[in-house]
Amino acid sequence: MRSIVQFSAVSRLYGSRRALENVDLTLEPGELAFLVGPSGAGKTTLLKLINREIRPSSGEVWVAGFAAHQLKKSRVAQLRRRVGVVFQDYKLLPRLNAMENVAFGLQVGDLRISEDEARDRSLDALEAVGLGDRAGALPHQLSGGQQQRVAVARAVVAQPPLLIADEPTGNLDLETAWGIMDLFEDIAAWGTAVLVATHNVEIVTRLQRRVLTLVDGRLVRDQPAGQTGRMAWLATS
Amino acid sequence: MAGHIVKGRFPRRRLVQTVAANLVRRLFQGAARSWARNIASNAPALGSMTLLLVMSGLIGLTGFALHNLEQTEASQASLLHVYLRDDAAGGDVVSLMNRLSTDPRVSTVVYVTKADALQRAQHMPGLPELAQASDSNPFPASLDVQVKNIDDVAAIDASVRDDVTVDPVYPTSYDRGAYQRIQAVLFGAAIAGAAFLALLGFVAVMVTMNSIKIAIHSRRDEIAIMQLVGASRWMVRGPFVIEGAITGVLAGAVAGLITLGLTATGTSLASGTLTQFAPGISIAVGVVAAAIVVLVGLVLGSGSSLISLRRHMET
Repeated sequence: MRSIVQFSAVSRLYGSRRALENVDLTLEPGELAFLVGPSGAGKTTLLKLINREIRPSSGEVWVAGFAAHQLKKSRVAQLRRRVGVVFQDYKLLPRLNAMENVAFGLQVGDLRISEDEARDRSLDALEAVGLGDRAGALPHQLSGGQQQRVAVARAVVAQPPLLIADEPTGNLDLETAWGIMDLFEDIAAWGTAVLVATHNVEIVTRLQRRVLTLVDGRLVRDQPAGQTGRMAWLATS
Repeated sequence: MAGHIVKGRFPRRRLVQTVAANLVRRLFQGAARSWARNIASNAPALGSMTLLLVMSGLIGLTGFALHNLEQTEASQASLLHVYLRDDAAGGDVVSLMNRLSTDPRVSTVVYVTKADALQRAQHMPGLPELAQASDSNPFPASLDVQVKNIDDVAAIDASVRDDVTVDPVYPTSYDRGAYQRIQAVLFGAAIAGAAFLALLGFVAVMVTMNSIKIAIHSRRDEIAIMQLVGASRWMVRGPFVIEGAITGVLAGAVAGLITLGLTATGTSLASGTLTQFAPGISIAVGVVAAAIVVLVGLVLGSGSSLISLRRHMET
């Protein structure tokens, strides 16, 4: 089976500063992995490389069959339709209600989806994240956890093979954060690869999933699922 | 036994309808809503573009009239009136006519009697009074010589002015350099008009670009989200181009109506003067000018948006 994400000797420079250095990794379908490390370790850079917001300075990045390292601008949209993204600050459109926000993610990526189909699939996605009864609510009428659930629904409504999340629980209390993590486990169980960048040590240690540790741009540890490792990087965060 | 996968076919017609409906909703309705929401930032662009297009329409009509005037002048300048003495012998006149008719540089030769000349003068501004002031007919008989090439008029003039039948005081209508002077004036007017239009166009494009820049800035979150969820580049840019086009078409429509209104007013209130000083201007020409103005507005509005998008969208 082909990996959903494959990094081969990837480095990324910002001017003279090295954000990622010689990173090799793969992510398989249905795998839930955490990306941890101190601030400035390169977690966000790695996620941006996956979503082709930036290109590597050297090395190869393959995402869902796309060579992201050499992808032309005109084809970036095609790659992004295969990658769901969840942000710490949700990034919902304030003028649209929950259902419309989810449908927006579906329809701007594919004009062949009719209004009815978009509505049905969006409602299904909202049901799946436990917000079937809040479809008509505007973002400001929802709690932080509910907004993040809407963002997750938007990210997965098109059924992408990969979901990336950058500090998705950063603005949430622990109980709500666990709810979001349960969602990610469900999504991974459906066969979608999920990569979550987080600082939340409790979640990472208790879930015992694969943990990728970045320090100073280098992948210093790739801990398989089912193991509990030390979080040495915490000393520097 | 291996399974056989049957793929359901989505009806092509329904697919086309769905794509068209989504295009209309995402591009056109979205752009119209955004344009209305940003009316304050669009107003300066609309105003300056309307002014530009009104000026363009009027300058275009003036240019058309001047072109017609130049054609008329060129035609008249190549028509040489050879004025005959009142006492010229009929045989000599026929002889001169034959000589001119056989000249390869001459297209036609028409003999105009004194009576014809008087009748013609009565249709020219200022001349009827002159004709009535005298008991006798003051206008001479003439030969109207249509020269094929305007550059040969001087040579034809030189070949006839010493003929015995030709009036020695005022032999011909030839005025050296008159046509060239008219051409120079028209050329100067065309250059000045083009420069003025270019300046106005520059201002209108800059103002429109700025209004699109404001629209991009006010919707930067939406744009970022669209890009992150996989919207294609034209899907992101399209609404802004259409917003610019809306500004251009609205400005063009207002300017076109003003141009048409002024043309209609001019042709109904001062048709005689208009025919003399702006030949060829009519309601039909006004309609064509208005349509061109709308088209120019559309191109200018969407073009300005595209330039603005190229500059500001990436950042």
